[in-house]
Amino acid sequence: MPRQRSDDPSDERRDGRRRTTADEGTAGRSAVAIDDLRLTYADGTEAVRGIDLTVPEGEFFGFLGPNGAGKTTTIKVLATLLSPTAGAVRVNGFDVASEPRRVRESIGYMAQETSVDPELTAEENVRFACEAYGVPRGDREDRIAELLDLVDLADVADKRAEEFSGGMKKRLDAATALVHEPPLVFLDEPTTGLDPKARNRLWDYFRRINDRGTTIFLTTQYLEEADQLCDRLAVVLDGELVAEGSPADLKRRVGGEVLDVELDLGGDTPDDGSDARERAARIAREVDAFADATVERTDDGISVTAETAREHGTDLLVALRDGGLTVTGFDVRAPTLDDVFLAITGEHIEDEVPAPDEGTGNGEVSR
Amino acid sequence: MSTPDADSTGSRTETDPREPTTGTTPDREVSRSANTFAGDAWVNFRRWTLKAVRNPFVLVVSLVQPVIFLVLFTEVFGNVAGAAVNRGIPGISYETYLVPAIAVQVALAAAVTSGVGLVNDIENGMFEKVLVSPMNRTAVFVGKTAAEVFRIAVQIAIILGLGVLLGAEIATGLVGAAGIVAVGVLFSLWFVAFSNALAVLTRDQESTIIGANLLQFPLLFLSSAFLPLEALPGWIRTFAALNPVTYGVDAARSIMLDRDVATVIEVTTFEGALNGVVPGVAVLAALDLVLGAVAVYLLSQATSSDVK
Repeated sequence: MPRQRSDDPSDERRDGRRRTTADEGTAGRSAVAIDDLRLTYADGTEAVRGIDLTVPEGEFFGFLGPNGAGKTTTIKVLATLLSPTAGAVRVNGFDVASEPRRVRESIGYMAQETSVDPELTAEENVRFACEAYGVPRGDREDRIAELLDLVDLADVADKRAEEFSGGMKKRLDAATALVHEPPLVFLDEPTTGLDPKARNRLWDYFRRINDRGTTIFLTTQYLEEADQLCDRLAVVLDGELVAEGSPADLKRRVGGEVLDVELDLGGDTPDDGSDARERAARIAREVDAFADATVERTDDGISVTAETAREHGTDLLVALRDGGLTVTGFDVRAPTLDDVFLAITGEHIEDEVPAPDEGTGNGEVSR
Repeated sequence: MSTPDADSTGSRTETDPREPTTGTTPDREVSRSANTFAGDAWVNFRRWTLKAVRNPFVLVVSLVQPVIFLVLFTEVFGNVAGAAVNRGIPGISYETYLVPAIAVQVALAAAVTSGVGLVNDIENGMFEKVLVSPMNRTAVFVGKTAAEVFRIAVQIAIILGLGVLLGAEIATGLVGAAGIVAVGVLFSLWFVAFSNALAVLTRDQESTIIGANLLQFPLLFLSSAFLPLEALPGWIRTFAALNPVTYGVDAARSIMLDRDVATVIEVTTFEGALNGVVPGVAVLAALDLVLGAVAVYLLSQATSSDVK
């Protein structure tokens, strides 16, 4: 498949841009430099539709987006597993198309699906990776011991991976991605399917790896994960970047704080519940301070996002009571990345589990 | 042996002819030794041999069926079949006649596991893990195939030993036994290639096993494996002439008996048993090349990073 269409009139411009990107790369030492990456699958699916992205060395970078947004496709291009349809991609200064082997030598890659050989022991898995990446013979035993220690698998080093829990396999997988001490590690949804304890533990390892100076490029659909770990985020949707910035930057874009109000939805019938939420939303918009606020219906009641949510929250609560609604609880909180996503795209990030009941009106936005 | 440590400095950075002119190459110290083709092949040979030893089930299962065949056929059909055999080749026991065929059956059964191993690797992510590593991809498959060939050789040797215990005689002695192992290995390669092709095409363990096993019995029975072709109906003789098993068995059997028993291609250029061995070996080598090329093509398609 041709990497670039030769009849593309923007070729020259793109070449010029690429040179600029490369120069910046030398100066700022970018671990990843993506210039107008496009990837179309044979069935016509445009998985990536023009992404520009630069990740400086040492950064803990998060690539955030829902299922099917193009995260894995992008990371596979960066790891030389897929060739881009168009665009220039440099990883650690090497071009993925013309220098794939140099790229492979200089990166660690942890696939979305846990990849360990179940018939080999933890130690043998790490040793195989050492040999695959040409870790010098003299360093191997130390490196194996150090990595198994890093991921807390030293005491089960001689056990076969097939006996491991999901979290242990993930940690072993992570260890094998680090054998050659790569300056850049790609982690594709590393904690998907893990319980919170195992996930927290993995987070610690990733922070430790990043603290050692390793650039981390992480994809996730967990907002909390990106918030917890990443210095900077890019939000991707339908193959395009829709936002970029630090977690704090992105939260600021939501515009203020969020006031969650729980209402007595009066009985079990969802119709009545919807009514209570609708009335509450109408009342909220009538409160002067919240005229420009984002009002959203939730499972338990409504949530109002505004600069002055904290100061004028009581006004709303009083207005709700005067309107004949029973407030059963409330909370003022900082916005989460789900709020960010909602603010940017008008959609919630889909959870793994589909919404249990469409009738609850979850996700409907009114302004 | 696998990775010479002498090159462990990052010297390839300076010597690579594709050094980018933009000067963006990081001059970071690279703490790795250069991978060599032989080193990469050896690393993979070791992994697959280790897995085979770890999983004696695989080793045993592909031996069980041939052993059952060997024992049952000689015990149940020994008298009847022995008579049929002796009409063409007087003075040999059915055990002696059958052992080369069982050796080929072992090669057939063991070769299936090669594709199964590949499917397992694809399923547990090791395939992708290997692709993303800097190892030479050809070396990766050379190493894996070498491990399987090694295992097949060991299994054929075991079967030959068992056959001798049951009363079979290898007329050409130990050298002949080694020759039969070599013929078995040569025979196995086309089926190794075939099972890998199935693995790449189906990417499914059951389909690979079923697809390969379905072929096993027709191939074995519609050949010179169990009975002389003269004792079989005409249509089977026709099929057998096109069946790789016939060529493998005839070559192995010629070595076993130290006489030309080739049933399809008559050659008289060589001396004695070689007239039976050479045509079979030539046909198998050609078949290995063709199916090997198909498997290599499919594998390179599966490993190429081009979007299809």
